[in-house]
Amino acid sequence: MTTLPIGTTLASPPATQSRQRWFDLGSTSLVHLLLVGYTLLSLAPLMLVVVNSFKERSAIFGDPLAFPTADTFSLIGYSKVLEHAQVLGYFSNSLIVTSVSLVLILLLGAMAAWALTEYDFPGRRVLGLFMAFGIMVPIRLASVSIMQVVVALDLMNTLTALSLVYVAQGLPLAIMILSEFIRQVPQDLKDAARCDGVSEYRLFFQVILPLIRPAVATVAVFTMVPIWDDLWFPLILAPSEETQTITLGVQQFIGQYATDWNSVLAALSLAVLPVLVFYAIFSRQLIRGITAGAIK
Amino acid sequence: MVHTRSRTFWPAVVFLAPAVLIYTVFSAGPLLDTLRLGLFATDGAGQLSFAGLDNYRLILLDPDWSAAFWNAMGNNVQFFLVHLLVQNPIALALAALLSLRGLRGSGSYRTLIFLPTLLSVVIIGFAWQLILSPLWGVSERLLGLFGLQDWFAPWLGLEESALITLSLVSVWQFVGIPMMLIYAALIAIPDDIVDAARVEGASGWRIFYAIRLPLIWPTLGLVNILTFVGNFNAFDLIYAVKGALAGPNFSTDLLGTLFYRTFFGYQTQVGSATMGAAVATLMFLVILSGVAVYTVLVQRRLIRHTF
Amino acid sequence: MSSVHLRQLSKQYNNTRVLENVSLDIRHGEFVVLVGPSGCGKSTLLRMICGLEDISAGELVIDGQVVNGLSPAERGIAMVFQSYALYPHMSVYRNMAFGLKVHGHDKSSIEQRVKAAAQALHIDHLLQRMPRELSGGQRQRVAIGRAIVRQPRLFLFDEPLSNLDASLRVKTRIELARLHSELNATMIYVTHDQVEAMTLGDKIVVLNDGTVQQAGTPLELYQQPANRFVATFIGSPTMNLLPAQVLSTCDQGVLVRVLGGQEMVALVDSARLKPGDQVEIGIRSEHLHCATGPKAMGAGELFGAVVLVEHLGDSNLLYVRLGDGSEIVVRGDGCAAVRLGEKLRLHVDMAQLHVFSADGQACRRLAPGNMQLARHQAGTLQ
Repeated sequence: MTTLPIGTTLASPPATQSRQRWFDLGSTSLVHLLLVGYTLLSLAPLMLVVVNSFKERSAIFGDPLAFPTADTFSLIGYSKVLEHAQVLGYFSNSLIVTSVSLVLILLLGAMAAWALTEYDFPGRRVLGLFMAFGIMVPIRLASVSIMQVVVALDLMNTLTALSLVYVAQGLPLAIMILSEFIRQVPQDLKDAARCDGVSEYRLFFQVILPLIRPAVATVAVFTMVPIWDDLWFPLILAPSEETQTITLGVQQFIGQYATDWNSVLAALSLAVLPVLVFYAIFSRQLIRGITAGAIK
Repeated sequence: MVHTRSRTFWPAVVFLAPAVLIYTVFSAGPLLDTLRLGLFATDGAGQLSFAGLDNYRLILLDPDWSAAFWNAMGNNVQFFLVHLLVQNPIALALAALLSLRGLRGSGSYRTLIFLPTLLSVVIIGFAWQLILSPLWGVSERLLGLFGLQDWFAPWLGLEESALITLSLVSVWQFVGIPMMLIYAALIAIPDDIVDAARVEGASGWRIFYAIRLPLIWPTLGLVNILTFVGNFNAFDLIYAVKGALAGPNFSTDLLGTLFYRTFFGYQTQVGSATMGAAVATLMFLVILSGVAVYTVLVQRRLIRHTF
Repeated sequence: MSSVHLRQLSKQYNNTRVLENVSLDIRHGEFVVLVGPSGCGKSTLLRMICGLEDISAGELVIDGQVVNGLSPAERGIAMVFQSYALYPHMSVYRNMAFGLKVHGHDKSSIEQRVKAAAQALHIDHLLQRMPRELSGGQRQRVAIGRAIVRQPRLFLFDEPLSNLDASLRVKTRIELARLHSELNATMIYVTHDQVEAMTLGDKIVVLNDGTVQQAGTPLELYQQPANRFVATFIGSPTMNLLPAQVLSTCDQGVLVRVLGGQEMVALVDSARLKPGDQVEIGIRSEHLHCATGPKAMGAGELFGAVVLVEHLGDSNLLYVRLGDGSEIVVRGDGCAAVRLGEKLRLHVDMAQLHVFSADGQACRRLAPGNMQLARHQAGTLQ
């Protein structure tokens, strides 16, 4: 057996106490400096827009970096926007499309994920790959044919068409994420339920579905935001005045009133505010959802 | 896994049918149909006739068509390179800083930096257009704070700078996503491993590039491929800021805007479903080959370390 | 080889005190085991010694140098983690070489050291493998090897055996003991398993709730536990404790009466006790015997019925319920024919009694041998 002599091979520790502490302090400050700097960079453009939307035209140009004072405060931009654009209408359209799509994606996605992970049938793997295909391939590329389908079904300019397309867009990723969660449900639970004679439908709706609730947050994050913010499909499939989403509506409005800075800034702020509110309430779940889903 | 056919056959069908149906009708089906359409041509009366690879020959080789296509392609590559070389390193740096143990306020930083990603590209595009507008002068003022006001130019309006500017705007908006993905991977590294390296005398830097970075290679690869797919699909920002014509002088034209124009037509050119389908197919092939190259060359070599 | 001195170390997280006034002296080459239940602060203490946690108050001295502000490497310390903490993306060789590379050793010296350590630990055939290809036991050796190559002044072990299965644990325990004697290194070892502590340590430090309950050799802790906690923590099965009342005290000991009425003499320093005090007496399971034959003179006795028998092969553990309802454990070897419910007469070896006052502190046990005198002076039983 080889013996290993223990000696003082390390150089005698040089640093004194105080030197060590200073270095740590310095590097921590640097880190915070960088992060604060970038955070400001992230927020500044938005703040500029929102702050200036509450100012008079002259103040916007005169002193863009200032907050609105009692003199310069003005809601004229907002009143014009609300007058000329069906903002409420746009909002409700966006809300309807996003929530309907989300519910369908979650429900149908969970059902499909359950069937794909739990039941073994010929062609299961092929079907799984087929559904997963949509994750990598952007659905927009198929727009030509999608439009033909929508026209053929007489669903042009309907929120229904938008929802169905978004569901088709969101299903692949939802199924992948939900499958991961479903796979973690203990086998014992399923066995026990089946031993009790529970039907597959009850098993799914009353046992499985409640258990994968954490997954809902993850999927919601990945699907809701792209749907709300999407410009392409509303533009192609539902450009009519009654069916415009907020994103499309703002884009059209700004295109029309491009020189009216008050209105433009107000329109932008109106489009941003609901997302900010939503984010303020749900940010923790959102971030957690993203980091959890990212590991998959 | 349940194997008995009898009791699970109908439930399986019921559970799968709606999702598969919607997906096939509105996504997979149309995609395959688009590939098919690309092989057809429409004459003036709207009649379809089989044209083989004619469309593709037009797009890739015909002087008028191909100029537009290759311009868009080149721009798209440039767009992607800016994201690859600016967005992803910044995301890595931010994620590395945010994942430092014991950093106070890490949660708040993350939340705030991620905010722009949530907003519509349309909104972002317009907001930046205003900010960079020479009429408003906000950018000049801000640059003036650093003594750089002479540096200012109407970048969005100049042919040579418009694309880079829009690329940077896109980077600014979307850095949150790779940041979060890399952050998640970094915090998944067990503390013990980092502690062990500390005990062995490694400095913060060394721990980062010798221990943490190698352990997140797969995530970095994933981030890059997602960036690739996303970039070659980009449309909204350009359309919002520059319209379908992607000016000035097509300098901001991407494959996405080219696709839009080809499909819907603009000004004098009539829209053509079949040509649009052909452009879409080409985009699909570009994306597919990128993913394939990545999968074969890169992902295979990377081992995802489980802890 | 290093001497380590802990001088009133304390650790505070926000407003909770996790460790309080821990003082300890460790000599060159000593193998010290920090043991205690979960949450007692032993791992925190180890990390403070290592340098992974800040010291809130007190001084840590290694080889005469105060090291409070130094980083772990600067202190000359190597640590073996509970989870081994091997770098997953590096081969065994590179894992072991990493620390040396960081310190700037040249390639040949690194190679020589790594190979030597690998041979000593019987892992030289695994040098090119990756951690995920190794078994738990092999990974642990790599973790130990990684520590050895750096030739540190001090080795720290954080529950290294808890992730191994039982048989491997015993084998590795023996190897660690052998390693210690070969390297003659100063080692500080943390565990929650008192058997490991007893078998490995030159000195054991029992911790509970952030404070040192007692520090001493295994035998000291076993025979002279300083308080109720140490008495019940060390030794398996746990020491039997019975409430009792002091009847009288004298130089040589104390006379007590247990709940069941029996009287016994304990040879302890009774300075802190007075008649009427409520105390607890402790007797280990091996110091109780099933009495056969007539009642011995002056023996303490207990009566009860067997409620459970555990057969260990070489001995039995009898769980006996006494008349007053309390349960004790008796280790028997000749009582193989004991049945459930059987009534037993138990002989108590009074020279082995411990006494704990109401505050939990033990009364110091005096040298046995004066049992006669004690009984006489205490005005005792027949």
